[in-house]
Amino acid sequence: MSRHRVVGPSAWILGAAGLVIGVGAAWLVSQGNPGNMGLCIACFNRDITGAFGGAWANMGGVAYLRPEILGLLLGATAASFVTSEFRPRGGSSIPLRFVLGFVFMLSSLIFLGCTVRAWLRLGGGDLNALYGIAGIVAGVMVGVVILKQGFNLGRAKVTSPIVGWIGPAIMAVLLVLAFMVAFGSAPGFVTTTPAGAKATAEGAVVQGDSVLKPPGGTLEDGAVVAEDGTVISPAESVAKAPPMPGGRRAPFAISIVAGVALGVVAQRSRFCSIGGIRDAVLVRRYDLLFGVAGLLVGATVANLLLGQYNLGFVGQPIAHTNALGNFAAMGVAGLSATMLGGCPFRQVIMSGEGDADATVAVLGMFAGALVAHRFVIASTGAGLSDKAWPVMAVMAVVLLVIAFAKRERVA
Amino acid sequence: MFEVDARGLSCPLPVMRTKKALGADPGSLVVLVDSGTAKANVSNMLADEGYSVTVTDEPDYFRIEATRS
Repeated sequence: MSRHRVVGPSAWILGAAGLVIGVGAAWLVSQGNPGNMGLCIACFNRDITGAFGGAWANMGGVAYLRPEILGLLLGATAASFVTSEFRPRGGSSIPLRFVLGFVFMLSSLIFLGCTVRAWLRLGGGDLNALYGIAGIVAGVMVGVVILKQGFNLGRAKVTSPIVGWIGPAIMAVLLVLAFMVAFGSAPGFVTTTPAGAKATAEGAVVQGDSVLKPPGGTLEDGAVVAEDGTVISPAESVAKAPPMPGGRRAPFAISIVAGVALGVVAQRSRFCSIGGIRDAVLVRRYDLLFGVAGLLVGATVANLLLGQYNLGFVGQPIAHTNALGNFAAMGVAGLSATMLGGCPFRQVIMSGEGDADATVAVLGMFAGALVAHRFVIASTGAGLSDKAWPVMAVMAVVLLVIAFAKRERVA
Repeated sequence: MFEVDARGLSCPLPVMRTKKALGADPGSLVVLVDSGTAKANVSNMLADEGYSVTVTDEPDYFRIEATRS
């Protein structure tokens, strides 16, 4: 009997899970989700935040209670419950986990996608993602050094069931609101980006033949004209206006069913978008790497078959071409995810399993999204915000300080 | 009997500590974990390292027993 097996059955299970997630994400794009964003934990958590941040947080274009996220988490709850893996636990460095989730979100919104979407972007032919993936590898490598120095956020403890249920309960409430949005009876405090709306460079918003912003504006020969007759956006600008991401969405029923299904797959398989690189470097285990490899293959093949594959750097959906910015942002994201113990996808899944610490990380992501848009730190298709570099520098320092502070001597 | 108490630890610490214990090439090993993720990752590693693995579901944690097969 061989003593050491490099590729065991678990690797193939993870590869298959990644394949399913990659195909599912590509298919969700064909059903209406934003380009190369069939599934993005950062973007979709950001959209959920936008549903409450609305215009105040400059999030009118990225506001939608994404049923995929609600489904993922509740699907994980169901799967963990059935397999007696729903274990209410928490209490490990709660404030720091909030900060790490916050940092992860800010850096993801500078890259324009989380560590899952980086692979999905590459699977759609967006070569800018290569710089992001190089950044993930670099960030995880730094994280591995930190782990080898004895970094440990401390032990979580068994908690009362109520604490474990906070994550699923939040999602259940959001699910009720999402149902109301889908059936056109959402309460006034929930913002939803109009379906298919486009924003012009001048700030006008057009949906089909009607002008949503400025109020009273009309379309004349393709140009947006204000009530007083001044031209807000020339026809050329209207024609070039990209769709607002929050307004690109698959039908509610498809999104929720896909979310639940992928939540079950992720909970059972333990899919993680950064664990593969981490384990390969740290403990020479390659199971989780099969997961992201499967995701890349699945997304690439499905995008090719669906006619959504577009190879190149320029003109990619919801992406910019700042190579160094992409690298640095995903470097920060990769490091923060490594310090959290798993990528944002895993945080959502673990929150569904009763892990209150993971719920805190998700709440940190919501807060990060609010700040990223309110203070215009998030990137746009045009490139980085002028605050992106200073913010990334501060976040890198914060991560290193946390790493140093939570070092524990291992005998 | 080697015992690794990895309860409450975030990834990848349960796997790291189990791997460290494997450095002594024990004939058998017990690892305690309390999340499904740690249970799966540790069990998979032990199986790939040539151990036969049984997992017992205790009220607040999982007990992973591994014996060199």
